[in-house]
Amino acid sequence: MSVEKMKIVGVIGKKNLLSRVLRLVVLNGSVHTINALVRVNSSDFFLPPSEKNIEVLEELPFLKPCSSKKDFTKDEEVVKSLLSLFDIKPQVREEYLGQDYNYDDFMKQLSDIYDRVYSTADEIEEKMRSINKKREYINSLKYLSRFDFDIGQLICIKYLAFRLIKISRENYDKLKRNYENIPAVVLKLAVESNNVIVVSITPVILEEILEKIFRSLNYTLLPLPVEFTGTAAKVIEELNSAIDKEEKVIESLKKSLEDYKVKYIIELKKGYSRLEIEKKIEELKSDMANGDKLFFMFGFVPVSNVAKLKSELEAQFGGDVIVLVDDVDKGGSNLHPPTKLSNMKLFKPFETLVKMYGTPAYYEKDPTIFFGLTYMLLFGAMFGDVGQGLILLFAGLILELVLKKGSLGGVLSRIGLSSTVFGFIYGSVFGSEKIIPPLIIRPMANINYILITGVVFGIALILSAYIYNIINSGIEKNVERGLFSRNGAAGLIFYLILLYTIFRVVVTHSSISPAFIYIMIGLLLLMVFKQPLANKLIHADKLYQKSPANYYIEEGFGVIETLLSIISNTLSFIRVGAFALNHVGLYVAFATMAKMMTTSWGSLAILVSGNIIIIALEGLIVFIQALRLEYYELFTKYFRGDGIEYVPAKMEFISSTGKRINLFHKKNIFCNIGNIYLYNIINLKWGS
Amino acid sequence: MDKVIIYAAVNTKIRALEKDFLKREDYLNMIREKSVVDVARYLKENTSYGKLLREVNIDNISRRDLEDILKNNMIKNMDKLIYYFRDDYKEFIRSLYIKYEIEDLKILSRSIFNGKDLETIEKPLSFLGKYSRVDPKILFKSKTNRDLIYSLKGSKFYEFLIPLVNGKRENRFRFEMALDMGYFSIIQSRKLKISREDRKILKKWEGLLADLYNIQWVYRGKKFYRLSPEELLNYTINYGDKLTFRERKAMCYAKNLEELYKMITNTIYGFLFKKEEISRDIYMERRINRFIYYKLKALDRQFSLSIIQTIDFVWSFEFEIRDIISILEAIRYDIPSEEARKFLVKVA
Repeated sequence: MSVEKMKIVGVIGKKNLLSRVLRLVVLNGSVHTINALVRVNSSDFFLPPSEKNIEVLEELPFLKPCSSKKDFTKDEEVVKSLLSLFDIKPQVREEYLGQDYNYDDFMKQLSDIYDRVYSTADEIEEKMRSINKKREYINSLKYLSRFDFDIGQLICIKYLAFRLIKISRENYDKLKRNYENIPAVVLKLAVESNNVIVVSITPVILEEILEKIFRSLNYTLLPLPVEFTGTAAKVIEELNSAIDKEEKVIESLKKSLEDYKVKYIIELKKGYSRLEIEKKIEELKSDMANGDKLFFMFGFVPVSNVAKLKSELEAQFGGDVIVLVDDVDKGGSNLHPPTKLSNMKLFKPFETLVKMYGTPAYYEKDPTIFFGLTYMLLFGAMFGDVGQGLILLFAGLILELVLKKGSLGGVLSRIGLSSTVFGFIYGSVFGSEKIIPPLIIRPMANINYILITGVVFGIALILSAYIYNIINSGIEKNVERGLFSRNGAAGLIFYLILLYTIFRVVVTHSSISPAFIYIMIGLLLLMVFKQPLANKLIHADKLYQKSPANYYIEEGFGVIETLLSIISNTLSFIRVGAFALNHVGLYVAFATMAKMMTTSWGSLAILVSGNIIIIALEGLIVFIQALRLEYYELFTKYFRGDGIEYVPAKMEFISSTGKRINLFHKKNIFCNIGNIYLYNIINLKWGS
Repeated sequence: MDKVIIYAAVNTKIRALEKDFLKREDYLNMIREKSVVDVARYLKENTSYGKLLREVNIDNISRRDLEDILKNNMIKNMDKLIYYFRDDYKEFIRSLYIKYEIEDLKILSRSIFNGKDLETIEKPLSFLGKYSRVDPKILFKSKTNRDLIYSLKGSKFYEFLIPLVNGKRENRFRFEMALDMGYFSIIQSRKLKISREDRKILKKWEGLLADLYNIQWVYRGKKFYRLSPEELLNYTINYGDKLTFRERKAMCYAKNLEELYKMITNTIYGFLFKKEEISRDIYMERRINRFIYYKLKALDRQFSLSIIQTIDFVWSFEFEIRDIISILEAIRYDIPSEEARKFLVKVA
């Protein structure tokens, strides 16, 4: 529960093994790669001299980044067209990836298949072209089908030129209006959508002039077949039978293609998977470095995966690769390990909300559990209602389990649960307070009490935020933040004293000793001088990070901000009580309206729609308000959120049992087995 | 009321954008500069183009680069305006790009025809794909005009260009004429989706444009191209504001240029031909543009909440870029500033 520990794993081997090693790494799916050169040049990288490491040490000073960028466009084209030709669905399947193979040889094999298949495909295409031409002829001829003359004779007339053309309506209009100047006989045959089909007959000597005129009308010539004789109808028949013959030829050619498919289908399916993983590998290469004969790869791996990775590498490559495993050094190196959150299933959905603010840094304590608990409490307190809470709970469960929206559904179901619990505490069911008695208190009946409880709860949260910050700063050994800043020890003590003072003055009406005032002023001064003091204590080089003048102006205003924000942060928690009251108040409004209805169905309708509106409106508002309290009052005190997210190099694929797995589900084993069992049943029923 | 909903916001935005246009003094000052770099520097330091040119190193800038920057700026501003309109109007405003895209397509096709390497085209083809939504990279891959036509498949231009695919001679001329004829056809069809008032205004406006272009076309066709009257007539735009079909036909069938002049000077468009022979030709385009420019301003005042403001803005932008480029060309070809001024549209 928290941030998983990482180790730095390095893999060094001969350059010709590079693709195969990377393939294994991607299939293993647990390495978050980092730039190899940065790693090698960092201060904590150390390789002990030994016989095995001699070559490596020789090459270390001469490393260069991996620069070759393979071009996959041709391979992609081959794979894509083969898959579409044979109607195979592109899928990445594990069984095609697991074997050890040489990518280039395999691709060459595929392109041979491609060449052979495509010569048949070309033939088919040619036949189709010829059929299309015939269809075009038929299309043109159908405009002449109502005439009885012999088409062949008409086309071969010696002194007159006969043409069938198509022009747009607009242009036909121009032609018609200037007809007296056109040197041809033009007959309209048909009108089709935006175009007009006409026939033009003109003496051959005038054909050139006519051509220019028609060109200025942007005409399309409808082609007529020259080698046929007979009426238009007869020619159409002959063309149709020729088309039938050619279609039969195409059928037989297609059948031979089918044979190809049967023969090579496995290879084709392999092609897509292997191409995808090769592309992924190419992406990884940008982080690697090359020496003369060796390649160098480094990455972060969670401790739980290190052993598996190491054994897989050694099993496949034996002594040809060197695997280095180092601990992550806390203080010095400039490599920041990525953050992999692993929390219990109960709190997992809240990770999304935490990550919305920022990914926790590697060294921070993971705030997810604290966030989850406090968020549920805040939401529940502001929304408390049994019936509405149950609705949220079920909605969340449906989203989580059926629609697979894990994070939203998960959050909803948990806050629904909390609302239900608080509903029992307030004694409110679907807004009505008459059904069950309250376990502790009714909000509307004890307004002041509720508001003050909210503030007290807020004070408890704020104090824990201070403590959290002090702990985090202690881990990082950040003296300035932990001891002297307004969110550190100085701030904490100031806050406690302030609270005590207010309590004494306002509640018990007694006075306080002036010593407290002096201590508070002293703490404020500490806060102003936090940076030079801290740097003095740890014997740092510079006392101030920027110029002293800027620093003091900033810190001066910082003090004013501290005073203001301490009060406002605490009072901000009044809204917890306020929204609880708000919730009841909104229901009261609807209840009043329901009472005004004359029929009982009307009242029921009002109550139901009222509840729906309350769930939607109040739910949204409370969701956001609780989030705001968490982010603004609490996170800003202790959470930095400047971590890098853990993104291992992996591929999603379908395993041989037909379900999708990400090799990255290293969760609770029991959970996994249960899930796998359920998934298998579901998939077996519905197919893959 | 509908007018206000559609136009109040965008017209205000246009007024705001118009303040960035160059002023008369800017043009006069730029004419007196001695090199392309000086003009660029003037723009950078004294005008609202400064923001646009801030990142640009102007010491080596060429006319082509500057033109590219200006055109892309125009595209950016036009895109901004498109956001203000609803769906049917969005299409209409987008069609304002057609004119510029067609110009770029013509240049592209000329370069293909001349076998030029498409990377070194003199003019930047910034508007390719803005209306047709075709990826310019595909257009640039064309090796012949045929490829170019096929790569425009799916766009509105395709139906006008497809008859040319099987043609033999004069493909370049036909290509450009087909695009132009297509343009006027497309803008007629897009009018159906906008309000009646706007349609009325547009009818007048586009009729005016059609008249001007028709007169220019018939004049040039007779003087330089020796086309038959039928062809001339077929290539005219099929509508107009003041010129009827009969008058157009009569102009095409005029026996010589003298007769043509007489016919035209009898219309309100006589101003195109008032001066002597030589200046008729060179400055005719400028006269047309200035007429358009002032006419748009008049229509702007007359119809204050309509589509005219947007059209006026786009054309003003175009004229501004044209004027800047004219100034740059005048500098390159060593034309004295007094002469160069006669080519500017926005400055008398």
